[in-house]
Amino acid sequence: MKMGNLCKVMVAATALLCLGITPSLAAPVVGQPAPAFEVVDTKGQLHQLADFAGQTVVLEWTNHDCPFVKKHYSSSNMQNQQRTAKDAHDVVWLTVISSSPGTQGHVSPEQADELTQSREAAPTAVLLDEDGQMGRAYDARVTPHMYIIDASQTLVYMGGIDSIPSARIADISEATQYVMEGLKEMAADQPISESITRPYGCSIKYAD
Amino acid sequence: MGLWVNSVNANPVQRDHIEVELVSRTQAIVPGTTIELGLRILPETHWHTYWQNPGDSGIAPTLTWSLPENASIGEIRWPYPERIEIGHLVNYGYEGEHVLPMTFTPPPALVVGETVAVSVDASWLVCRIECIPGEATLSLSLPVVTSQINQPSQFESLFESAEQRYPELQAQVGQFSTEANQFSVRLPRTGVLTDWTPTSDRIFVTTPNVVDHAKDVFISQGETWVQIAQPLSPYFSGEVNDIALVAVDDVTQTAYTWSLQKTDLITEAAQTAPPAYAMVLLLALGGGLLLNLMPCVFPVLSIKALHVVSTPARQQRPQAIAYTVGVVGSFMFIASVLLALRAGGQAMGWGFQLQSPLIVGVLIYVFFIMGLSLSGFVTIGGQWMGWGQSLTEDHGVRGSFTTGVLATIVASPCTAPFMGVALGAAVLMPWFLGLGVFVMLGLGLALPMLLLAYLPQLGRWLPKPGPWMTTFKELMAFPIYLSTVWLVWVLARQTSASAVAYILTGLVVLAFLCWLHKQPERYRALSGYRHSLVAFGLIAALAMLASAARTPPNEQEQDTVWLNYSPETLQAARDDPTQAVFVNMTADWCVTCLVNEQVALSSDAFKEALKTNQVVYIKGDWTRRDPMITDYLASFDRNGVPLYVFYPKDGGPPRVLPQILTPNLVLEAIGNSQ
Repeated sequence: MKMGNLCKVMVAATALLCLGITPSLAAPVVGQPAPAFEVVDTKGQLHQLADFAGQTVVLEWTNHDCPFVKKHYSSSNMQNQQRTAKDAHDVVWLTVISSSPGTQGHVSPEQADELTQSREAAPTAVLLDEDGQMGRAYDARVTPHMYIIDASQTLVYMGGIDSIPSARIADISEATQYVMEGLKEMAADQPISESITRPYGCSIKYAD
Repeated sequence: MGLWVNSVNANPVQRDHIEVELVSRTQAIVPGTTIELGLRILPETHWHTYWQNPGDSGIAPTLTWSLPENASIGEIRWPYPERIEIGHLVNYGYEGEHVLPMTFTPPPALVVGETVAVSVDASWLVCRIECIPGEATLSLSLPVVTSQINQPSQFESLFESAEQRYPELQAQVGQFSTEANQFSVRLPRTGVLTDWTPTSDRIFVTTPNVVDHAKDVFISQGETWVQIAQPLSPYFSGEVNDIALVAVDDVTQTAYTWSLQKTDLITEAAQTAPPAYAMVLLLALGGGLLLNLMPCVFPVLSIKALHVVSTPARQQRPQAIAYTVGVVGSFMFIASVLLALRAGGQAMGWGFQLQSPLIVGVLIYVFFIMGLSLSGFVTIGGQWMGWGQSLTEDHGVRGSFTTGVLATIVASPCTAPFMGVALGAAVLMPWFLGLGVFVMLGLGLALPMLLLAYLPQLGRWLPKPGPWMTTFKELMAFPIYLSTVWLVWVLARQTSASAVAYILTGLVVLAFLCWLHKQPERYRALSGYRHSLVAFGLIAALAMLASAARTPPNEQEQDTVWLNYSPETLQAARDDPTQAVFVNMTADWCVTCLVNEQVALSSDAFKEALKTNQVVYIKGDWTRRDPMITDYLASFDRNGVPLYVFYPKDGGPPRVLPQILTPNLVLEAIGNSQ
């Protein structure tokens, strides 16, 4: 009886210790549930990850003044991918801006809508993540930085937009477009063959 | 000459925030020789361009050459970069004017007076916080002259400083592994590393997208190696080809580079990457905590805990503190002895205390008397050894301190399995960090007592003190007797049957003294002789102990299943391509080892598997000190037993098995040898 109780004390102490040392890692992992988010879009509407359960979601981090973003927008590569994703794969495409106020890429809701219109972009919504909470939850590092979340809200892709890290438009046709390839494989019920790639671009200007 | 100066200075190109130019180290080309060309880059103040591995963002410059027929150009010889922090990312690159040099081999048949023209399409990324990509076509024409009149160009000093920053390739090849989410590199401690260890902020991996550049680099070292580990990038794709490590000596500003080969040598997470210091500390704390449950410690702890809880609250904390001081102090004492002996060049590891028959003998006495005391056979009163009081009636601070010391002594044989990692790391650290690990181990051992004193609600879980405590105490004597039996067995293995006879005689003398101690009230007649009898008895007990300790070891009876370890035996077995090798490093005082041998290494199935798979079983016995085994353990980053290593037949890299074996695990490891 006595020993049992003492054992209980120690087991409890060990458990406490173990709880204490479990590091809280927020970094996303492919194959694990995608990090939750709760961000307002340019229309003032709140979006949460849970709202999109049952749908495939693509996240695109952007900064319209970043030369690498320009590469993919002035060539229409990004807009075409947004349309293909929506039309062929019924994807929710969320463009995220994590630049903090006063830094490159930060825009007002009106400016963001204006950019969508003038560039003929087709995201489902543009999310304004001024405080960088969503960006940090996803460990988004550069623009463009891409993620795919499947219908079960599992992260299935993270990395670059394509396979040639450069700012040259001419390279786009030579490169593997990872998000498009990933969506195709998902449509064919195959696992994504290149699910983690090197993101390249401008570093995201987070709030301190 | 003026003409040539103009010709090498033909084309600086201005772009946003940067000036770039194709330059030559000499003013002209001499037929039959190579020359140095370079991309000169001058970013604006606070702007930078990138190294071959740009770090967490950024892009290295790229060059596409247009050369005369039969001419060729070498790779960029990258000068080592600066570490540039941008927010939460780390980049590797260059601020200020610099040259990226390459060797140009002109066409073979050149005539003095000709000009050689080359051009290059260069593209780059120049960044401050924001980034501007740029590209330009740069060209350069060089006259062909005789060697007598070729002069250095105005860019000589830029080439010179690039050369100084060019890492010197080392003859030794390093090994790397990407297991356990770490990029870990092991370099042999030879050449420049003999008396220099790189610092974490001056280490650069040459391939992008492998490490998480903003994460800390952890460096550890042994006598024969230096290990460098950094967490893998979350975007690491799993493939690495052609990777090298660059390290810069801060004092001489010299850089060195090692090419790296992938290895699977190290399969356990804790070894792949030396655990971060904080993790080692936590492991030590957890290990210390587990020690409390060991059969030799538990009786001491539980009885002490009950007494502490039953004392008035205001006395509990001083007692818990004293106990902790006793435990931590003893750990530090043992650790200091160990570290000092190691510093003196002795090949020693944790558990070394038990390699001495004398200390084992002393422990046998201590355990035996403790057992007698718990059984109620003797009430040790007076000042005779504080632990005796603390186990019985005295609840003083001094008693608690000595209980702490005692707990440490009795705990030392029972090194919990995962303490091996922490202790192995500890002895290889600088001594002050190493001591920290032992302090945490001690704190872990003392933690239950501290918790009881500082969280009184825990005490309520314990049953109320009462007469049952005497029964409990007496019951607790039996694990202590069993521990004594085990120690006697260890002594027997270390020495011989004679030593066992000596030590058992010593125990009988001790028992007699205890009995004598109880007599004076009833048998007055004895009292006159008592003092001389006690003195005589103590001397006799000590003499027995000394004799036991001095008995030479028995010739070990050889079991046909295994061979005794020596480096030569192992090498011979490994050299035979028809045989695989299984190495078991063990010691009789290592409980984990004994359990493993019983559970997994003595079954008929195991012996059968050895035969059918043609595995040579080599066993190293570390029960007594053996520097050859200590060295072998160190070659796997270990500082204690058990260690199980399997060498496949094909001479492939050895595989380290876990410290806790199951029959299947072993059979699988051996069976997979084909």
